[in-house]
Amino acid sequence: MELKINIKGKEHVVNVEENGNEIKIVVNGKEHIFNSSTGIEEISFFPTSTSQSFSKEIKAGIAGIVSEISVKEGEEVKANKKLLTLSAMKMENEIHSEGDGKIKKVLVKVNDKVKEGDILIILE
Amino acid sequence: MKIIEFETISSTNEKAKELAINGTLPWTVIVSEKQEIGHGTKGASWFSPKGGLYFSIILPQNKIQDSQIITILAASIVAKTIKKMFNLEPMIKMPNDVLINGKKFCGILTENIIVGDKLKFSVIGIGIDTNIDYFPEELKNIATSVKIETNKEVDNKLILNKIIEEIKNQFKTL
Repeated sequence: MELKINIKGKEHVVNVEENGNEIKIVVNGKEHIFNSSTGIEEISFFPTSTSQSFSKEIKAGIAGIVSEISVKEGEEVKANKKLLTLSAMKMENEIHSEGDGKIKKVLVKVNDKVKEGDILIILE
Repeated sequence: MKIIEFETISSTNEKAKELAINGTLPWTVIVSEKQEIGHGTKGASWFSPKGGLYFSIILPQNKIQDSQIITILAASIVAKTIKKMFNLEPMIKMPNDVLINGKKFCGILTENIIVGDKLKFSVIGIGIDTNIDYFPEELKNIATSVKIETNKEVDNKLILNKIIEEIKNQFKTL
């Protein structure tokens, strides 16, 4: 069974095939097989590919105070690694890396006040 | 809505973030009878013994700007629910605490996970002092519980379900 799902203007092709005790779900060409021996596979909504280009300048998406810095200059980071935390309106905002890289510069320190759009960290 | 229950856990927010990062779907709720290192904003500790109601909800992707009102919305829902169920008069100490008779009985911590410039998901953690009989010396003048205020044991599951249902309804309107 082929389904076309439109999410925010982007079309995704999903194929569902059942064969005995096995169900195969193909999302945009990537196969996910579910059966009694493999158990449940969870499909992450985080990007798994790190080859796509992403901005190397990590900016504040919200104004706030830097409450934690989780990386050091020179450190290699993977996609989804927590880089720093901004506190705002009594909320904690964890900023994670979009892709793999190396920390070139940390431009802020703990307790610094930052505005929306300020550059916090530069990756290389 | 899936509810994952624990007898004890380090922090429901930490578990919710860990699960969401690994693909657990929005509207999953983590609830624990007690927390070993329950915390509020900036790491402030939250007294979390057995008897209280401690839970975190994985919320769906949203706009960063909208996430600012989630905490206030949740505080208002907790206050309204407790008022309706127990005829108490809770007050919101903006934006994330709820008080009865000037003493705190509920704290809320929203944590947003931002990847690049997009908010991937939010976790909202709510700690309510429900069936807590006593507080340590340093908290006894500033904290209270629903049980202390009503002189009766309350049903944590019922309170949990009512709050989750209301948050889910309100979230649609954001």
